[in-house]
Amino acid sequence: MDLRELLDKKQFIFLDGAMGTMLFEKGLKMGDIPELLNITKPEWIIDIHKQYISAGSDIFYANTFGANRYKLAKSGKSVEEVVKAAIDCAKKAAEGTDALAALDVGPIGQLLEPAGTLSFEEAYDIFAEIVRAGKDADLIVFETMTDLHELKAAVLAARENSDKPIITTMTFEQNMRTFTGCSVSAMANTIGGLGVDAIGVNCSLGPKELMPVVRELAENTDLPIVLKPNAGLPDTVTGAYSITPQEFAELMTELIPLGVKIVGGCCGTSPAFISNLRKAFAGKRYVKQQFKPFSVCCTPANTVVIDQPRVIGERINPTGKKRFKEALLSNDIDYILSQAIEQVHAGADILDVNVGLPGIDEKQMMVRVIKALQSVTDLPLQLDSTDPEVLDAGLRIYNGKAIVNSVNGEERSLNTVLPLVKKYGAAVVGLCLDENGIPKTAEERFAIAEKIVSRAEALGIGRENVFIDCLTLTASAEQEGVMQTLNALERVRRELGCQTVLGVSNISFGLPSREIVNSNFLTMALTKGLTLPIINPNIDAMMQSVRAYKLLANFDKGSKDFIAAYGSAAPQQKKAAEPADVDLPYAIANGLKGEGAKITEKLLETQPPMTIINELLIPALDKTGADFEKGKIFLPQLIQSAGVAQSCFEVIKSFLLKSGAKAESKGKIVLATVKGDVHDIGKNIVKVLLENYGYDVIDLGKDVDCQLVVDTAREQGVKLVGLSALMTTTLPSMEKTIKLLREQYPGCKVMVGGAVLTPDYAKEIDADFYARDAKESCDIAKLVLG
Amino acid sequence: MGSRGRDADALMPLVTECADRLSKAMFPRYTCRLFEINASEDSIEVCGTELVLRGQSIKEHLEGCQKCVLLCATLSAGADKLIRQLEAADMAMAFVTDCLASSVIETVCDEAEQEMRSRLPKSYFTWRFSPGYGDLPLDLQGTFLNVLEAQKRIGLNVTESGMLVPAKSVTAVIGVSDRPIARAKQGCVGCNMYNDCKFRKGGDHCGS
Repeated sequence: MDLRELLDKKQFIFLDGAMGTMLFEKGLKMGDIPELLNITKPEWIIDIHKQYISAGSDIFYANTFGANRYKLAKSGKSVEEVVKAAIDCAKKAAEGTDALAALDVGPIGQLLEPAGTLSFEEAYDIFAEIVRAGKDADLIVFETMTDLHELKAAVLAARENSDKPIITTMTFEQNMRTFTGCSVSAMANTIGGLGVDAIGVNCSLGPKELMPVVRELAENTDLPIVLKPNAGLPDTVTGAYSITPQEFAELMTELIPLGVKIVGGCCGTSPAFISNLRKAFAGKRYVKQQFKPFSVCCTPANTVVIDQPRVIGERINPTGKKRFKEALLSNDIDYILSQAIEQVHAGADILDVNVGLPGIDEKQMMVRVIKALQSVTDLPLQLDSTDPEVLDAGLRIYNGKAIVNSVNGEERSLNTVLPLVKKYGAAVVGLCLDENGIPKTAEERFAIAEKIVSRAEALGIGRENVFIDCLTLTASAEQEGVMQTLNALERVRRELGCQTVLGVSNISFGLPSREIVNSNFLTMALTKGLTLPIINPNIDAMMQSVRAYKLLANFDKGSKDFIAAYGSAAPQQKKAAEPADVDLPYAIANGLKGEGAKITEKLLETQPPMTIINELLIPALDKTGADFEKGKIFLPQLIQSAGVAQSCFEVIKSFLLKSGAKAESKGKIVLATVKGDVHDIGKNIVKVLLENYGYDVIDLGKDVDCQLVVDTAREQGVKLVGLSALMTTTLPSMEKTIKLLREQYPGCKVMVGGAVLTPDYAKEIDADFYARDAKESCDIAKLVLG
Repeated sequence: MGSRGRDADALMPLVTECADRLSKAMFPRYTCRLFEINASEDSIEVCGTELVLRGQSIKEHLEGCQKCVLLCATLSAGADKLIRQLEAADMAMAFVTDCLASSVIETVCDEAEQEMRSRLPKSYFTWRFSPGYGDLPLDLQGTFLNVLEAQKRIGLNVTESGMLVPAKSVTAVIGVSDRPIARAKQGCVGCNMYNDCKFRKGGDHCGS
C-alpha cells in the first residue's frame, strides 16, 4: 500500500517519533552530523526504525533530515552516499512489514535571499539532488520548514524529479508564525496549490499549544492534515521536554475534531509515545474538516482573502509612462520599487506587475522585479504579461500564491496559460475576449466567462481561483458599451459566483476631469459586484470611493478603516507649508520631502534645471554635509536631507524626460557589498548620498561576486568603485575584488568602507581611498569624478 | 547614531517611532546551556559536544572557570525584514531602526544571562565573549549553533562566511566558576574596536 491508499483505507495514519532524541541516547554528540551514522553505525539506525515500526508506525522517516550538500560539505561524504545508506537502513528495518519508508528532508540550513544568500534556484538544485538520491523511498517528506520560499523550491524539486507522494510540514511558534514570519494560511494556500498529498505542522510546540495552528490550517485546506508535535515544551536551559507519552496521546486525541489524519511525534518523543498514540486513537474515527473553497492570494506574511473589494494597484506598468520605460531600459529597479512603496502607503491590497517593453528581456526583468518587490513589500502580486514564458518564470520564483493577469477565451491562451496556473497553484484573471475580439454585448462576454471557468475547472482549477474581467471600454468612444460591461459583471458575480476584476482608469480616456468619471464609474461597478478594481491608489478620489463603498456596503465594520483614513483620530498629517514660506535650502535642511518636490516643480517653471541643481540643491547638501562633520546634525538627519534632495532630483529628471532631454550625470559609480557579506545598510546609505550629489550609482547589492564587480565596472566604463565589508571574514573577498580590478581594469579607483576597515588596512589591500562614513565617500567621489 | 552622547533631542521623535515599529516587528528569542569545559594547551573543549574553542583570547577569558554557558539570541527575521523594508522606503528610519536593534539584542542577551545567573546562584560569571573577538575564530559559528540546536529552537542560521542570519543576533560564551573571577569586567583593551573607537577617541567609553 502506498500513502495514497493508506489515506483512503485507514482512519488514521501513524508516523514515527524523534530520531535525534534516540540518537543522543545512543551516544551521538551535540553538534555532530547524525546522517553520517547511516554509514558508520547502520545498526543504530535500523534498531531505532524497528522500534518505531513495532510501536505501530505506518510510516517512518529515514535518517536523511540534514543530508544535503551544504550540511555534508565538510563530512567527506556525498549526498548520494549518505541518502542511499539511509534508505538501505530503512528498507532493512521495514523488511517483512507493511511500514513505508519516507525520504525525510529538513531545511537546508542556509536562509534564502533576501534574508540570506542562497538563491531560490540553488535551493531547488539542493533539494533535487536529495530527491534523486532517495528515489527508492516510498514517499517524500519535507518537515520542520520555516521558510515558505524554501519549501516551495523543495516541493517543485520533488514534483519535477519524482512521482512519489509528498507530505509537507512547517514549524510554527506560539505567535502562529514560523521563524521567518510565514503564516499558517499562507502555507496552506501556497503549498496546498502545488499538488502535495498531505500538509501539516511539526516540531516547536506540544499538541496543546499547536491547537490554534491546526485550527487555522483546517480553515485553509481541504488536504489531509498532518500533526507531529514535540513532547511538550523544552526547558530553555536543560532542553528536557515536559510531557509523558500518556499525556501526549491524550492531548493528541483532542485534535481529532479539527481534522487531524496523520499523526506522530517530533523532538522528545520515543517509541512509547507512538504506542500510546496508537492505543489512544484505537476505535476513534477520522473527522474530515469542513472546508469551503474561497478566493485568496498571499505572500508568506500577508494573506489577502477576497471576501470584499480589494484594490489592485496599477502603477507598475510602463504603458504610457516615459519615466517608467526609462527605468526599465536602464535597469533602475529602485524606481520601480518606489512605485510599489507609494501604492502600499496609499492603501493598495495587491500590486499588478507589468514590465513588458520592446528592447528588454521581459522574462529576466519579471524575475528580478518580483524578487526585489518581495524583499520590500508583503503585498501579494498580480503577474501581468502576455507571454506564457514570462508568466512561468514569474510564477516559479514568486513567494506565495500569485494572481496571473491574464488568460482569455482564445484557444491558444487557454491552452498555454491555464496549465501554468494549475501547476503553480495560482489564481487567474480571465478576460472576456476571444479570437473575435471584445464582444459588444453583455451576453456574449458572459458566455466567454463561462467558457473560461469551465475550461479552468476541467483542469482542476476551482472557480474561486478564476477572476473574471468584463473589460472596460472607453466611454468617450463607446458610450453605449459602459453599461454592457457592468451588466456582464453583475451576471458573472451572480451566476458564476466568480470574483470580478476591472481596470477602471480606461473609462475616462479622452475626457476632461478624468478623476470624476473614474471614481463614479468605480462606485457604479462596486455596487454591481466588482471585487477587484485595478486602479491608481495614489489618486485620493479613487481610494475615497473604495473606502466609502466598503463603509456603506457594511464591509468596513464600525467604519474602522474609514475613520482611520479620514477621521480626526488619524494622526494629523504634517501640514504642508506653502512653498512661499519655505525655500529649497530650508526644505533640505529640515527633511521636508513633499515640500522639496513641490518647490522644485515651481522653480522649474522659471529656472533651468541645471541652475536649480548647481545653485540651490548642491550648496544646500554641502551645508548639511558640513553640519554633519561638525557634529551639529547626526547621520539620520543627513540622510533625511539627502532624501529631500533625491525627491527634488526625481522631479527634475521627470521634467527633463518630458522635454526630451537627458538628465545630466556627474558620473557612474559601482557600489557593492563584497562576496559573503550580507550586511549592507552602510552601503545603502552611501548610495542614497551619492545619488543625491548627482552621481549615477550602479548598485550590485550584497554578497556580490568579485568578478561581477570587475565586469560591471568595465562594461559601464566606471571610474570609481565602492566596496563595503562588515566582517573580518569577508575582508579577503574585498582584497580579491581589488586585485581582480587591478589586473583586468587598471585605472579604476577604489574606495572601501565598513566597520572592520581601517585606513591602514585599506592601504594594505591596495584600495585608493578609505571612506570613514557616507559623507566622506561623497567627498571622494567629488575628488575622482568632479 | 553618531551622536556620541551629545544633545540629540531633534532625533527623538524619529527614534520613538522607529522603536515602536521595531517592537511590533521583532520577536526576540534566546537559548542557552551550561557545559563543563576542559582546557588543553591551545584550546578549550566543550564537554559532550563537537565544539572546541580555539585561541589565546578565549583561553584567557575562561581562565579559572570550570564551566561555560553557550548562549545565542536573535531579534528574529522580522527585525531584519523591517530594516530592509525601511531601507527602500525611508533610509533615515532604516538607519535609526538598525541602531536600535543592535542595542535591543544586547538587552535580550542580558535577559538570557540573568536567567542563567538565577539558576546558578552560587556561581561567578565572566562577561560575554563572542566568536570573532580576539583570536576566537568566526568559523566555529556553525558548530556553535548546532550544539545549541539554534536553527530549530530560535531560527538562527549562519552563512558560509560565518555571518549570523537573522543579522540582529548574537552568539556568546560566558565563563562560569565557583570562585570569584579576576577579569570579570570587559575593558576597552580587549575590544575589537579598540583602535577605531569614536567614544575612546573622545575620551569616553561605550558603557559595556
